[in-house]
Amino acid sequence: MIQFDQVTKRYPGSDEVLRNVSLHINSGEFVFVTGHSGAGKSTLLKLIAATERPTSGTVLIANQNVSQLKASAIPFLRRRFGLIFQDHKLLYDRNCFENVILPLHINGTSGIEAAKRVRAALDKVGLLHKEKAMPITLSGGEQQRLAIARAVVSRPSILIADEPTGNLDASYAADIMAIFYAFNQVGVTVIMATHDALGISAKQSRVLHLSQGLLNEHLLHPTELEDNQASLENASVENSYDE
Amino acid sequence: MNNWLNHHTQALKQVLSRMRRHAWSTFMICLVIGVSLCLPSLFYLGVDNLSKLAEHMQSDTEISLFLKHDADATTIQKIEQQLASNNAILHHHLVTKEEAWQQLKKNSASNQDLSETVQALKNNPLPDAFFIQAKSAAPDELETLKNSLQNIPGVEHALLNTEWVKRLATLLNLGEQFIFFIALLLAVVLLVIIGNTIRMQILTQKDEIEVSYLIGATNSFIRTPFLYAGVLYGLLGGLLAIAMMMLIMMTFNYSIADLSQLYSSDFSLRLLNSELFITMIGTAVSIGWIGAYLAVSKAIASFKLM
Ligand SMILES: Nc1ncnc2c1ncn2[C@@H]1O[C@H](COP(=O)(O)OP(=O)(O)O)[C@@H](O)[C@H]1O
Ligand SMILES: [Mg+2]
Repeated sequence: MIQFDQVTKRYPGSDEVLRNVSLHINSGEFVFVTGHSGAGKSTLLKLIAATERPTSGTVLIANQNVSQLKASAIPFLRRRFGLIFQDHKLLYDRNCFENVILPLHINGTSGIEAAKRVRAALDKVGLLHKEKAMPITLSGGEQQRLAIARAVVSRPSILIADEPTGNLDASYAADIMAIFYAFNQVGVTVIMATHDALGISAKQSRVLHLSQGLLNEHLLHPTELEDNQASLENASVENSYDE
Repeated sequence: MNNWLNHHTQALKQVLSRMRRHAWSTFMICLVIGVSLCLPSLFYLGVDNLSKLAEHMQSDTEISLFLKHDADATTIQKIEQQLASNNAILHHHLVTKEEAWQQLKKNSASNQDLSETVQALKNNPLPDAFFIQAKSAAPDELETLKNSLQNIPGVEHALLNTEWVKRLATLLNLGEQFIFFIALLLAVVLLVIIGNTIRMQILTQKDEIEVSYLIGATNSFIRTPFLYAGVLYGLLGGLLAIAMMMLIMMTFNYSIADLSQLYSSDFSLRLLNSELFITMIGTAVSIGWIGAYLAVSKAIASFKLM
């Protein structure tokens, strides 16, 4: 469903962020993208969501080559994804309900049907009682859940989440992970960037690890989990020394 | 189709609620648009009515026949007979030097300087005069009539009034051109004002636009609400302009009634000019649309994601 072939990404005036990345993600998978800060996780997700174009190589989404799509077709491609951004990108000038309804307005759903879907999405993330609240009054974990509600309201078949548990303490993070697993259970493909291994489940998980622009792929088994967590924590400590 | 309709009603709802939330600034923008529309429109009404007034006066008296100072009653009578028998003349009337003198005194009474000057004149300097209206309005026929009247013994000078009417017409023509350029300049001003207003709104909605693009909004989804905003500003500004003009005219109305009476007759000022109103609204709406379109197109280019 999502296929990268020798994809290289360079931003104007930057080095290569991704180098010759090839990957294949099937429908219904739950895939983690790991790597230290600045490794290119967000860039990889943006290439998948068609909000960035590859510098070279091909990105195929549902058999469509993103580089060759007409500009007018790109918005319709993007609507296939539910995006959870690293910085939420919630709109603070409107309440929760109005935040969540935005994707429905964009795809032309309105009226009772839209309201029903917004409430269903809020219900799934446990925020139904907060529909009138302004996002600024929500806790960090609640804001993250609101962002998830907005991503799932148009019922996309692919969820792309960029460090959704990034700034949350462990219990909140576990809540969020549970929500993603629930969506994956009903067949939604989930692609999640994370710089810690906290959320990575007890199940065998597929991990795409980015390091210096190169992609390493491996399967993580429950037994490896603790080692991996330790090594990733070390990596983030080193990283914070660098900064 | 249904989608398309949804898209538009949503955009319109969004804009209306936004305008309600910022009622005061919306009103201010509409006021600026209204005043800008009012100025050339009022000028236009003035010139338009002056033109009609000029036409009207042209048909009133076309030739003034000033007699020699020594013209006596019998000469005047002879001249009058000639005028009466002239087929080219529709009607004529005599204003004697005494009548003219009294009229002058009366008219100058309100003006002190003029009144003093008139008082200083011991003798009446005014001649007897006939005011003549010809049957034809054609300039060359009037010219021949004037020449024939000039040759009547006892006539000092025959004056064709079309001269000043012509001059007035040129002047009014100039006025129309002037209005055209004023209107053009104000249109540019409106374009800038509306464009800038829309640009500011785009800036305050920057986050929303950015997220919308990221999750699959089309350019038209982003553009439509702003186009509606531009059009609504134009429409409301236009309506405000018409309201203001009505108000101004209402205060004028009384003096205009007097004026019409002064000119007795069928003449009336055309103040409620529906064509003008439609033009005003149409212009304002178009300018609103264009201003918004330019602003939003420029903004969209800067939001380009890839
Ligand atoms: N829009 C951009 N323009 C220029 N450089 C960018 C841009 N986005 C990301 N980068 C750079 O690309 C590298 C990878 O960034 P990113 O994909 O955000 O990494 P991660 O999400 O893993 O922290 C970083 O060095 C970052 O500075
Ligand atoms: Mg990132």
